[in-house]
Amino acid sequence: MSQHALDGAPLLEVKDLAVAFHTPRGTFRAIRNASLTVHRGELVGLVGESGCGKSTLAFAVMGYLPDTADVGGSLRFEGNEISKMSDAELCELRGNRIAMVYQDPATSLTPTMRVGAQIQEVLREHLRMDAERARERTVELFESVRLADPAAVGMRFPHELSGGQQQRVVIAMALACDPDLLIMDEPTTGLDVTTEATILDLVADLKTRVNAGILYVSHNLGVIARVADRVSVMYAGQTIEEADVRDLFKNPRHPYTAGLLSCVPKPLGASGAVTKLSAIPGSVYPAGEGDVEACLFADRCPSVQDACREQAPPMALTDVGSSSRCLFWAGVRPGMWGADEEREEALPTNGAEPVLTAKSIRRFYGSWKRKYLFFGPRVQPPVRAVTDVDFTVGRGRTLGIVGESGSGKTTVARAVVGLVPLTGGENQLHGEALARNVDDRTRGQQAAMRMVFQNPTASLNPKMPVRHAILRSLKKFTSLNSRERRERAVELMEAVGLSADYLSRRPGELSGGQQQRVALAGAFAGSADVIVADEAVSALDVSVQAQVLNLLKAHQREEGVSYIFISHDLAVVRYVSDDILVLYAGHVAECGPADSVLAAPSHPYTEALLSAAPVPDPDAEPTRIRLEGAVPTLREAFKGCFFAGRCPRKIGSVCDEKPPPARTGPGSAEHVIYCHIPVDELAEMQQPGADPVDATSASSR
Amino acid sequence: MGALALVVQRIANALRLVLRTPSGRIGLPILLVHFILATIGPWLAPYSATEFQQPLVETQLQPPSWEFLFGTDQFGRDILSRVMSGATTLIAVSVSGAALGIALGAAIGMSSGYRGGRIDEIVMRVMDGLMSFPSLLLALLVMAMLGNRPAPIEALQSNWQNILIVITIGVVTLPRVARVIRSVTLSLKTLEFVQSARLRGEGSAYIIFREILPNTLPVLGVEASVRLSYAILTISSLGFLGLGVQPPSPDWGLMLAQSRQFLGHAPWVAMAPAGAIASLVVGVNLVSDGVKQASGLPQEATT
Repeated sequence: MSQHALDGAPLLEVKDLAVAFHTPRGTFRAIRNASLTVHRGELVGLVGESGCGKSTLAFAVMGYLPDTADVGGSLRFEGNEISKMSDAELCELRGNRIAMVYQDPATSLTPTMRVGAQIQEVLREHLRMDAERARERTVELFESVRLADPAAVGMRFPHELSGGQQQRVVIAMALACDPDLLIMDEPTTGLDVTTEATILDLVADLKTRVNAGILYVSHNLGVIARVADRVSVMYAGQTIEEADVRDLFKNPRHPYTAGLLSCVPKPLGASGAVTKLSAIPGSVYPAGEGDVEACLFADRCPSVQDACREQAPPMALTDVGSSSRCLFWAGVRPGMWGADEEREEALPTNGAEPVLTAKSIRRFYGSWKRKYLFFGPRVQPPVRAVTDVDFTVGRGRTLGIVGESGSGKTTVARAVVGLVPLTGGENQLHGEALARNVDDRTRGQQAAMRMVFQNPTASLNPKMPVRHAILRSLKKFTSLNSRERRERAVELMEAVGLSADYLSRRPGELSGGQQQRVALAGAFAGSADVIVADEAVSALDVSVQAQVLNLLKAHQREEGVSYIFISHDLAVVRYVSDDILVLYAGHVAECGPADSVLAAPSHPYTEALLSAAPVPDPDAEPTRIRLEGAVPTLREAFKGCFFAGRCPRKIGSVCDEKPPPARTGPGSAEHVIYCHIPVDELAEMQQPGADPVDATSASSR
Repeated sequence: MGALALVVQRIANALRLVLRTPSGRIGLPILLVHFILATIGPWLAPYSATEFQQPLVETQLQPPSWEFLFGTDQFGRDILSRVMSGATTLIAVSVSGAALGIALGAAIGMSSGYRGGRIDEIVMRVMDGLMSFPSLLLALLVMAMLGNRPAPIEALQSNWQNILIVITIGVVTLPRVARVIRSVTLSLKTLEFVQSARLRGEGSAYIIFREILPNTLPVLGVEASVRLSYAILTISSLGFLGLGVQPPSPDWGLMLAQSRQFLGHAPWVAMAPAGAIASLVVGVNLVSDGVKQASGLPQEATT
């Protein structure tokens, strides 16, 4: 592995690393055999599904593993073995030479200290700077992570900063001592897509400015494609492929990599509905098992051969600088997981009988606060989570709802099913008004509307066997007797790809994907008309996500059920939706058929969301529209346009003064954009070759 | 269905988990000894608990010997026998009192927390009010006011004082349990499995008892053991103050109170009942720690 070896010795060299945790419940082999190198000036992406050992590897490099861990193999930093260092040497190494950025910026910062002081503490402790110099350096660091108003930011407490700003502060802290190696463990995973995009820009920019090696851990291939130079793929505690980022995405040399790439819904642009994603069956090889003389991926591999089960494949050199842990790497093709090109005609845009209609629904949280608890003048109005949202879901169709966190997606979902009562407006099912509270709806209406939640672990009662929720749904919504119910439960489990013996297990014994499939089986139990899926696949690994999405699609084709599908991931929404509703701060920004909404012309907010979505293609041109800040919390009605405060295409005072008119898109009469800019002008601005956005020029018109 | 068998199996499983923790391994056997004494102690005792040994002059205030392992008291009664027989009432009353408080407290806490809103607010303020009575003072008040009156129902007369103590302990325990269980309920009710039960059209009672209750059991277990140890202490204190079981029935608190006058020259008279109370409370607390460890709840301090 080579061309880099020419540039000198690697900064970090991990060779045949093995980490096992000894616990009272047995030994867990978190890492079986991992090798990778990071050179100065390059960014190495480490990618894999959850449970593959990525974070353990990062912790091992930092020397953070607990005493119960058994470390084998070698971990060298500039040629020195990390596991042999004394505590004092490790401390020196961590502070000055290696720095780490963690997933959740909110917990990486001390909540009771101003952020500037936190960085100055690092500078004074490790670099022995005096107070004055430390203050200056802090401002420089904040500038280098592109924080607006660097001098003022230092005086704030972490809770006064947005998630994106917090992560910038954490990165600044990591850069404080000019580290030689920077480890970033999922630094954008907890952030909104729009914020993620700005942080990724920063990382890509740092890469060229900082003379350090960066190890970037992520489960998201789109993110890796955006920032990495080289990529290592991990599976079940092994590094299974290492290659240059372009080679890896174009020519994967391990079936697992090929699988990961093909189970991500393809980005926008491709037209027609894809009927089936290629999913990787099964789940990750368990860490509890002992040594195996076989390929750990054999059970999930589409082109498994006898030889794969007879020996553990070595890391084979496939090209200069790339290697693969597959015996038959030469036979790996991007399309080996089956054609994902299988498409069907998009449903006709209109004509579908409406199943569910929301008529200017509103939901405000809390009530007016008064000055003296119960008396006195009203001082604080309620929070306006959703304001006058309208939509219609047609029979057998899917309505996708997108928006950043705080835009009101979940509130819409909960208001529709009746978990939070509406403050105003009305939901109608088959033309009949629905009660605001689910408890007041008729049994038939309850059966007609089911919901699947984001967190699969919390969706099932941990103290009850898996069958509980399914059987109760059947009992409530069907007239089957108890024997028939048990038979039907088995059928439902089989329909979601789980065998009947899972019914008697506890939810804790199931993986996240399996739990989510059980939740689906419960939702399918009452032959619902509408299923609301609130970020139903967001917590799942990509391969499992594809399995669940396929199930949803298949069920829709067979039963003609309608979905309201909520997600922050545009690629996923694009894949499942027939219609899309874009929400911002509880207002509809744009709605209409999926193809029209996602193609130009679109609302500036939709445009920004599209622009921010990471694309799993290293050659994709980086888009340039970025949104800073976060969705505002509303207590007053907007005077002008709801998006005016962050709009990159704001045209002037009219945006602040008048609510935007509804404009009809060119493709379809049902495509509505709420914007002051006329549709044809939007189309012009958003042409591929058009000038990238520039707020100053836009506002000068 | 064998619901009872299931419950027994659950309890056996829980005990097995508790036995795996260090505190549980020490605490459970201690409790087991007390439990055995409480059930068959009077029959195991070498002497009668109330009978004076004759002749009085030669047997009163004897130090521990092979004949009287823990010595004798001022009436020449065998202290070992008295301690062995004294457990019955104490344990029966404290367990019933704590159980009453826990059952009511859990029911109130879960309902109030699940219901939420104004009703929750009112219920919790009432609980705060109840909690503001010092438990021993409340018990004293109740015993002083009602203890000497005849029972409203004739059949209860023989156990009237014990019933009063049980109710008092229940009332004192109730608000504390309600508070803890309410807070657990508040966080549980936002979880998706409760929401999806609502979407299935389940009633509040079903959600509270079938969906929420099983998830509060670990907390309830810890709470139960903590409350039990407080109940034991309160009842022993009542005995000490002379408001518990009337003499000559053996009662640890009462024995302790009477032993004070001989503390200088016959300390063994105080030692045995004091040790009995202490070991019972320590046993309960150790088991409580064990339950906490076994259920993976956060520990207040490392033990």
